[in-house]
Amino acid sequence: MDEPPHISLRDEEEPPPVLGTWRRLYAAIALYLLLLIVLFYLFTVTFNGAR
Amino acid sequence: MRTLDWAVLVGSLVSIVLYGLYKGRGSSTVASYLLANKTMPWWAMGLSIMATQTSAITFIGTTGQAYVDGMRFVQFYFGLPLAMIVVSAVSVPFFHRAGVYTAYEFLEKRFDSKTRTLTSIVFLIQRGLSVGVSLSAPAVVMSVLLGWSDRKTILIMGGLVIIYTVFGGIKAVTWTDVQQMTIMFLGLATALTMAIVSLPKGVSFRDALYLAGASGKLNAVDLSFDWNTRYNLWSGLIGGMFLALSYFGCDQSQVQRYLTGKSIRHSRISLMFNAVVKVPMQFFILLTGALVFVFFLFEQPPMLFNRAERERVESTDEYRAAEQRYEQTFAERRRAAAALIASRDAAARRQYLSSLKDLETARAAGIDVVRRVTGTEYNDTNYIFLTFVTRYLPEGLVGVVMAAVFAAAMGSIAGELNSLATASVMDIYRRHIKRQGGDAHYLVVSRVATGFWGLYAMIFAIFVTRLGSLIEAVNLVGSLFYGSVLGVFVLAFGVKRANGNGAVSGLLAGLATVAWLSRNTGISFLWYNVAACVVVVVVGILVSGLRPASGGPGTVEVK
Repeated sequence: MDEPPHISLRDEEEPPPVLGTWRRLYAAIALYLLLLIVLFYLFTVTFNGAR
Repeated sequence: MRTLDWAVLVGSLVSIVLYGLYKGRGSSTVASYLLANKTMPWWAMGLSIMATQTSAITFIGTTGQAYVDGMRFVQFYFGLPLAMIVVSAVSVPFFHRAGVYTAYEFLEKRFDSKTRTLTSIVFLIQRGLSVGVSLSAPAVVMSVLLGWSDRKTILIMGGLVIIYTVFGGIKAVTWTDVQQMTIMFLGLATALTMAIVSLPKGVSFRDALYLAGASGKLNAVDLSFDWNTRYNLWSGLIGGMFLALSYFGCDQSQVQRYLTGKSIRHSRISLMFNAVVKVPMQFFILLTGALVFVFFLFEQPPMLFNRAERERVESTDEYRAAEQRYEQTFAERRRAAAALIASRDAAARRQYLSSLKDLETARAAGIDVVRRVTGTEYNDTNYIFLTFVTRYLPEGLVGVVMAAVFAAAMGSIAGELNSLATASVMDIYRRHIKRQGGDAHYLVVSRVATGFWGLYAMIFAIFVTRLGSLIEAVNLVGSLFYGSVLGVFVLAFGVKRANGNGAVSGLLAGLATVAWLSRNTGISFLWYNVAACVVVVVVGILVSGLRPASGGPGTVEVK
């Protein structure tokens, strides 16, 4: 039976489409999550239980 | 549903099947049938990952949950982007480098055969339980709304999925997932827009947010920490991350999606796409539910959203009395809501909150009648959103939303069938029953296995619908395995000295820990995965030190 098609290990070094390195992209995603949580928190304190 | 709605729904379903058959043609080898020859672009994988995770119940249940419980469920997804980063950085290169068909095959290369077999069997049990629920839960709801029998809905949904999944394998599954996600996004946008434009004259979007907030429905973030609270920031970030790590990093139904990537880069981008899109998408689904709640402040909803259950009790005197009381309290609540947005003062607010409580009490009396007459528990959360859709959306748009619900069900079921077939053929049949077959033989067996799991899902779904409220219990049993399997992969990726004996002992200890926690404590289920993973890793390290494996180290080097 055929083995799964091979992927070159050099692929691991291929950069992401933005920000140059994967490390930077991961940091940007983490910051994005933080931003979402802050926005959702502001949404909660602004509207939930609004007086 | 009117003629145009049926035309939209039937047209969508037929187009999904035809598109699946078209895109799945040429799957003539095992590698193309199970891994699409690793040719998939990131955006197709990204949408497929999302479609597999988004079941019909995610779609209709989440909106209902916001209606009943507010938006706090969004916190469940906070750990997902973090998990995506870890899976992208760690798991994706390991799996691609190992050249495997299943995540569990990797464990044989790293540890030994028994670890692969045991984890694969755990997956088959877990996913085998959930595929029946994935089919039966939406079928029960759709049956009530479409006026079909449960069995007919299950056979139509399941039968359509089986046609293109058996024929076209993962290519058909992935490309139809892309189409299904497009339909789902369209359905979501339609529902959200209609929830806003359906607000009565004189109630602005800002008024709607004010009323939803005053009703406690916009509780998106809860900073308090409590082990027993199901959804707060901390259980979402930590527990949710562990759950997402288990699901996206160790569950074949997800791993197989990104194993089809044309490169490691494409697989990684597909995960980052999900990291960016998933949380806002859930936020807007929940917001739709909160706005439906506001809509029903001014438009009287049925006391019981499940029409089938309502019809069983509505001729009783007790129910009529409860409904009369419900109608009176609804009128009071509508007046109080209108007064609150007009004045926004403390007295109006107190009056509104009091009327909310009165209406809940009146509805509880109706629910109590159902419980006493039928002798079963009653929960109509999954019927709320579709009641809004079928009663108040214009002709054509009802069909769009119904098509989105069917698409959500079909996308998740197709992914599950495909992965169940892959694990049973590659980890069990090829590994333990027939090791020297040709490619054509395994291709036929893979198609037969897909068909088998499809038939099993339909039969199990028909059986499960008779369990009523036990459906949730079946689903819960499936979710208890996640953290333990994650622990085995943590040992594989991160602990050089770990061996197969340690991994299997740890897995068994983790499963026992979760069984004990679920029976003896009240802590939120999101923490089970954290506890199980930690137990597996600790026991795994200890046993690996005490009982080194006799077969020598695995063939996959841990860097």
